[in-house]
Amino acid sequence: MIPRKLALGIGLACLVVLMGLGLLAPAHLSVPDLARVYEGPGDMFPFGSDQRGRPLLEYAQQGASVILFPSLFAGVVVGAMGVVGGLLRCVGSARVDTAVQAFGEIVGSLPRMVVILVVALLIPAGDRGLLPLALAWAILASPGAMDEAASVAERLGGARFVEALRAHGFSWSRVFLYHIVLLNLRPVVVRQAAETAMQVTFLEIALSYLAAQENQSSFTHADDIKSWANLLEIGYPSLVLDVPTSHALVLGLALVGLVTVMSLMLSSAARAR
Amino acid sequence: MKAWWLRPAVRLLAAIVLPFAVPAIITALIWALPGDPAEIICPREICGGTDALAARWNLDGGPWKFFSAWVQGALRGDFGNSWRLQQGVPVADLLREAVPTTSILILAGLVPLVLGAIGAATGIIPRRADPAASAIGLVPAVVFALLCAALIELNYGAESFNLEATRFRILLGAVVLGFSDGAFAGATTGVRALFRTELKQRYVGVALLRGERPLVNMLPNVTPALAGQLRARVLHLLSGTVVVEVVLRINGIGDLLWGGTLLQDFGVVLAAATAFAALSGALLLLQATTEIVVALVVRRSPVIPAAVVDQAQRRAAS
Repeated sequence: MIPRKLALGIGLACLVVLMGLGLLAPAHLSVPDLARVYEGPGDMFPFGSDQRGRPLLEYAQQGASVILFPSLFAGVVVGAMGVVGGLLRCVGSARVDTAVQAFGEIVGSLPRMVVILVVALLIPAGDRGLLPLALAWAILASPGAMDEAASVAERLGGARFVEALRAHGFSWSRVFLYHIVLLNLRPVVVRQAAETAMQVTFLEIALSYLAAQENQSSFTHADDIKSWANLLEIGYPSLVLDVPTSHALVLGLALVGLVTVMSLMLSSAARAR
Repeated sequence: MKAWWLRPAVRLLAAIVLPFAVPAIITALIWALPGDPAEIICPREICGGTDALAARWNLDGGPWKFFSAWVQGALRGDFGNSWRLQQGVPVADLLREAVPTTSILILAGLVPLVLGAIGAATGIIPRRADPAASAIGLVPAVVFALLCAALIELNYGAESFNLEATRFRILLGAVVLGFSDGAFAGATTGVRALFRTELKQRYVGVALLRGERPLVNMLPNVTPALAGQLRARVLHLLSGTVVVEVVLRINGIGDLLWGGTLLQDFGVVLAAATAFAALSGALLLLQATTEIVVALVVRRSPVIPAAVVDQAQRRAAS
């Protein structure tokens, strides 16, 4: 098991890299330079070039800018819903529990991708973006987070735990925010939030790749913006044909790995003692 | 929760409502979008018969007329025609081709999950294998599917759409569905956690003291939870079919739904999403039925056989 502080350091470092890439993303790709087509990382630092001689660094930056805010936002929404689920269990009301269960049952009864595609139909072609899809994904992921946080709160003693701490003279805010949320719900909430951020990133890559495969516009970003899926698309032919694009594939997979490591490390850093 | 029937009742209600709610929402979306729905099929600038087409496809009388006509048709097996994807082709024909393929894909994808669950419940798959399963599960479906697509092209090249290659596609699709996005890891760890929690119950300890096998004793009590996990796994597979079918070029409902969404073909999206909703409803029904059967049959107070009562009375008398 990786030490908590080390995990936090690695997770935050990944987040900083991701934010750095996203915030420094250029609005448009560079002008094509056909003399520098498919150059490797050694010739065009740091990641090489695409089929028009444009640096892949710009693909990585624009892809990061596409996923950065929506994935973090989805993570925050799921984390907040997890906190709500845990706190509601501490209220100890059977009616509230039933209402939460009914919400989870209805929201979680359909395959997520089907709901996402129906939501995607709503987005006008001119206003395409990941944010509405990320929000829909967060709502779909919320029942799981609420349920898990509620289980933690129940193991803790639920309403009796709150009552006991109040009897010790603790204030409401200290009982709920410190003892319940920070000390006990933290591992579940952070893990669910980090996993949702990772899933939204994967969702963007999947939707953009599927659209690119059919030569259609992606639901997640404007046509003049490149996604990390474009790196996979450029790199894929290197697997089956003699095309020198493996550097794009490696970069695409490395970026997927970056997000995965970030999610795992942040979850690990928040784990219970 | 005191009322045991509440959870299955909510599920039964959701199972009945879902196949109607999904097309109702999509119908509302069609009218919520800017412009006349008939123009999605036949823009006035391009073709002249927009009004006639709207009348023929029930798009001229508002959302309720369209929805009621569509549901009546769907109950008879007529899902209308494709608007854009394969314009004019009956969607029922497209579904007839797609549903069996997706069913095979889902069933094949369930095989590793069921085997993993059985292995975890019986202890055949040890706990130390969990990190490896979790590591494999971190690979997103789209990346896994890409690697499999490359494998198909390398093996079959130009003949990658013949019957043998199609079977290979479905097999690899099932592998992707079964192992990517944490499907296998979720199945094994979920079932293991369930049985480990149940193993701590007092009745299992009593069963062990009586020389009985714990699994046989636990199984009736964990069946509702297992049904819930099975539903979650199948939903996960259904969700993954969209990515797997499109990347591996398998003609299933997921591929149909994606094509329909991409081209704003509401005829196809309505039918494909309703098919997914009906499947989800069937899963909810299965879970609710399991919960009701367990509550009524398994969890009732055990009836002591007359012979056991006689024996106890004789012992007491002697």
